[in-house]
Amino acid sequence: MSSTNELEQFNGFSVGDDLPQLLEKVDQSMIDAYADASGDVNPLHVDPEFAKTTIFGGTIAHGLLTLAFVSRVLSAWNWQGWAYGGELDIVFLGPVRPGDTVRVCAKIDAIEQREDSVYARCSLACYCGEKAVVKGTVISKI
Amino acid sequence: MSDFVTYASLVEGDDFLNPPVPFEVNQNVVDWYINATNDTTAELQEVDPQGDRIAPPMLAAVYVIDALRTRVGPPGGIHAKQRFKLHRPAKIGEKLYTSANVLKLYERKGRNYVEMTTETKNQTGELITSGLITRIWGKE
Repeated sequence: MSSTNELEQFNGFSVGDDLPQLLEKVDQSMIDAYADASGDVNPLHVDPEFAKTTIFGGTIAHGLLTLAFVSRVLSAWNWQGWAYGGELDIVFLGPVRPGDTVRVCAKIDAIEQREDSVYARCSLACYCGEKAVVKGTVISKI
Repeated sequence: MSDFVTYASLVEGDDFLNPPVPFEVNQNVVDWYINATNDTTAELQEVDPQGDRIAPPMLAAVYVIDALRTRVGPPGGIHAKQRFKLHRPAKIGEKLYTSANVLKLYERKGRNYVEMTTETKNQTGELITSGLITRIWGKE
């Protein structure tokens, strides 16, 4: 088991810092574009008539589209530490529907000195309005 | 005829993808992904010191799910949880191979859960992404 040592701040980063927030409006054309890009053309995402017959009552975005927004936040905040050693651990809590605006929020909860490097552990939540659609943790080298 | 993978056929410890599923990281795939996700990260437009262009880190979601989609459960499955460890971004021109292993099978509130570990390596065996996906398996 690797040992960690918790710090209050490191390299200009401090426990309690908010990461820049991201707001992204999702519409059906964005969902369709993600379906084309990812190859995931599940009718729940791209066929409004089919989606009406499901428990969602309409199309919903791919959960992984929301993770793309999370990755944009981490990339803009600390590219090197995210792309080369970042970690994500999330739960999908609810759907994102066409017309929703996704708000990505993250905050540094801890700074950990591990054997190989120093990492910021951040709490993460993505909201549509007041409703959380994704929650979890992201970790970035700092 | 059903080509779905049944929950009953899954066994903890089994390889789910054998052989690992290939995925080519090309310019089109990366451009489509960047456009679809409105990703304006500057580093994605640059060429790195080795002369390579890199893909967005979360392209992992595309190549891992693309591989898992080669063996699907019944309709109605739900992607419940996701973990990723991003060892490094993939580069345009690389060929990736994703493997998956059934880690845990369990039932909760009448639903069948499947946890699988995933590993994606490039053509030389270098580890690009590892992960853990939790799916609620569709009803058969």
